[in-house]
Amino acid sequence: MLRTRKTLWLLSLLAILILALAACAPAAEQVGEPAAEQPAQEEAAPAQEAKEEAPAEEAKAEEASMEPIKIGGLAPLSAPGAVVGGEAMRDAMLIAADEINAAGGILGRPMELIIVDTEGLPEKGTAVAEKLINQDGVVAIGGGYHSSVGVAVKEVTHDNHIPIVFAETWNDTITSVMYPEVFRIAPLNSEVSAVDVKFIIWLRDVAGADVNKVVLLTENTDYGIPAAEETTRLLGEAGIDAVTFSVDIGTQDFSGIIERVKAEAPDMIMVLATGEASYNFEQQAADAGIGPQDVPMLCNQVSLVSDAFWTNVPDGNYCFVRRVGLPVQLYNDVAKNFLAQYKERTGKEAAESYALEAYDSIKIIAQAIEEAGSTDADAIIEALENIEYTGALGTITFPINSKNPPDKAGVDPKWWHQFPEPAITIVQYQEEGQDSNDTTVVFPETYATGDPIIVGQE
Amino acid sequence: MENPALFWRVILWLLFWGAVGGVVTPRIYARRDKDISQAGLAGAAIGAALGPIGLIPLWIRTPKLTGRLIVLAGLMVIGIFVAAFALADPNNLCVANGGFVVSQLTNGIVIGIIYGLMALGLTLIFSILGVVSFAHGEFYMIGGMVAYFLSVSPFYKELRKGAEALAENTGGILAFVNYVFPPLILLLSACIVTFVIGVIFERLFLREMNQGKVERPGEYAILVTFGLAFFLQYFTQALTSANPVKAQRFWDFPRVKIPEESGDILKMSAGNITVLREISIPNPRFTAALIAVVMLGILMWFLYRTWTGKALRAVSQDRQAAAVTGINPDNMNTLAFGMGAMLAGLSGASLVQVFSWLPQVGIPAAARSFVIIVLGGMGSLPGAFIGGLIVGLVEAAGTGCIPDTTRAAAYIPAYGMIILTLVLLLKPTGLFGREL
Repeated sequence: MLRTRKTLWLLSLLAILILALAACAPAAEQVGEPAAEQPAQEEAAPAQEAKEEAPAEEAKAEEASMEPIKIGGLAPLSAPGAVVGGEAMRDAMLIAADEINAAGGILGRPMELIIVDTEGLPEKGTAVAEKLINQDGVVAIGGGYHSSVGVAVKEVTHDNHIPIVFAETWNDTITSVMYPEVFRIAPLNSEVSAVDVKFIIWLRDVAGADVNKVVLLTENTDYGIPAAEETTRLLGEAGIDAVTFSVDIGTQDFSGIIERVKAEAPDMIMVLATGEASYNFEQQAADAGIGPQDVPMLCNQVSLVSDAFWTNVPDGNYCFVRRVGLPVQLYNDVAKNFLAQYKERTGKEAAESYALEAYDSIKIIAQAIEEAGSTDADAIIEALENIEYTGALGTITFPINSKNPPDKAGVDPKWWHQFPEPAITIVQYQEEGQDSNDTTVVFPETYATGDPIIVGQE
Repeated sequence: MENPALFWRVILWLLFWGAVGGVVTPRIYARRDKDISQAGLAGAAIGAALGPIGLIPLWIRTPKLTGRLIVLAGLMVIGIFVAAFALADPNNLCVANGGFVVSQLTNGIVIGIIYGLMALGLTLIFSILGVVSFAHGEFYMIGGMVAYFLSVSPFYKELRKGAEALAENTGGILAFVNYVFPPLILLLSACIVTFVIGVIFERLFLREMNQGKVERPGEYAILVTFGLAFFLQYFTQALTSANPVKAQRFWDFPRVKIPEESGDILKMSAGNITVLREISIPNPRFTAALIAVVMLGILMWFLYRTWTGKALRAVSQDRQAAAVTGINPDNMNTLAFGMGAMLAGLSGASLVQVFSWLPQVGIPAAARSFVIIVLGGMGSLPGAFIGGLIVGLVEAAGTGCIPDTTRAAAYIPAYGMIILTLVLLLKPTGLFGREL
């Protein structure tokens, strides 16, 4: 009797806890099918009414045509992935899905966006990509933040012949293998490294900073290692010494590394590690006296998430940050419209570059399917190769493709299905608590809105 | 490394004679009917330190193996290792820069103290309940989350403002109390929340284990604490999102006027102390270590000077005998689990001002705690603390001294594991563990 009563009590408690979990999980409700299905259902209603008069023998075809077109979205939504990046991308992709469905869906059918959590791990990315393709039946995939995930997932999409548009994965090999299914709108790692080094050289030669030695703090991933190697090579060519320290993603305690960095006495520090590891390093470096207010520091791009940045790096003023995409002042209508919706959804004043990329990755897939007139993989791929899409990042094309391959065009294979012109600027926080929208663009001079503040120069 | 061959030869020498000593010494002692509990460890340490010159007299005379002997031999091994490293890589920072070494050691001690506090909670639970709590990392995470979210609440901001105003207007001890009080609320809240969760969980899910109602209590405990871990982690993520957060430092260093001439000896700012221009101690870490030391003192006083603490220790030694003397073992179990959770929560609350905090932040901390308690000896409170210090120092030394900058930090999780493996090979119960 006592045991039965206890069991019942425990079961009741469990039920209450489950209900509480469901009630307290607004984020979970926004991800994946429910958010995408609701506007899809609303938009599907007028379409259904219009088709009510179709002949009976077309009933089956009608049913099939009302089935949503499923598109997958990859994002790191839990550690050790860069959650700040993943959540921004998730919100951006949801905005894209809402816009597409509000405009009538794709090919007259509602669009269902299925967002999955890669955790920033290649094995998890592979598993969720397989799930998207084989269980959910997606016709294409967008998003993607971590290069290591991109390197793994491209194999899955190639094996299953499903087109994918990577939003924020930079590793050159993702496109250099020239898989027909793989497209990318993020910049190449090598190109980003080139811009970073150009900025450092400009700081030295034009802005008058004393930069002879740079310390790179990178991560042991498919993004971090090649980025550090390429940056070191280019710095070497410019006569600047570089010392690289590597950490695992999600590293918390940098005290030992920071002492070694201090011992190197660098003139500048570049943080290539992503996610909260970059926040941890930047603030712990500040605690140790070699932070952004002591030594010129090129902080990781997650520093563009202003709220999280200032919460985690309160001494982060004077950080330089690399930003992909046009400066806010040069936003086109698409970007402005996206920014307004992003502000409304997230409360943030600025949209990060990976948010813009994630948004464009879904919209470009939708446009490709429309232009292809079909969800067939080959048709979508062909449409993507010929596409001219005007998005938040600007006008996106993939000029190096099956009709204009790299050897014919005289370029490196890394440019295969690669958006060739993502704008990259360097901005600087010049006021404590500043929003990333209000940062000063310091490089390149074409886009500059002010001069850099160079600390530690005596 | 300039002369890696020399370094690796010395390592091989240490490993070879250490292995010989570790394997042969217990057999010789057993044959002579002597205590073999320390024979493996002592034999390995003496063999590695002195080679055959030390082992042969040891085997012939089979003296009593005291802790002092083992420690001395161990220090000699460390000395040989350091000397070999210094000769093999004379330009290494750890060899050429004394200030750097002291800095790294200081960092290691500071972080080791904090690791030790968290591991204390885990070992306390194990020593009383005989359960390894796989939710320990989540209590650590929750402690940090409670401290952070309370610190950004309007209530706390008002409280802090008021207390600081009071501190400025009063003097002496009252000013100190007003200044110190608000962050203590954060720590206390974290302790209360984690203690309560721990107590509720133990009463609901673990009590039946000790009442003989569970067939396989060991496996049951693992599964149920795992379940709690997942629940706490994802419940917190649903409540707070997975964005990293961080509390502002609790207290600034005092504004002490330091003469300019002593700039090289001591430099002080609100967020940092620099001693002798080399040893830099950031405020948040210093505060966290201080909290850990104070908490350790309180815990030791509680366990050794109060009736309840003695009752807890009695239950850990012999449950039935404790029951006979009038101690309720079930209540002690509940108290121990709650206290263990509370210690983890306090560690988290003190570290949320040091690290960025996520719902997943407890996973590496828990893994480290398991290493520490096994290294120190499961169920041993001093062992957990010493184990924490050892892991902190080894991680600091490894990160600071490994020549390859691309690998030094990447191998951090491995350093503690290497020491753990060596200790377990030689002393399976850990450094201070009880013999079975």
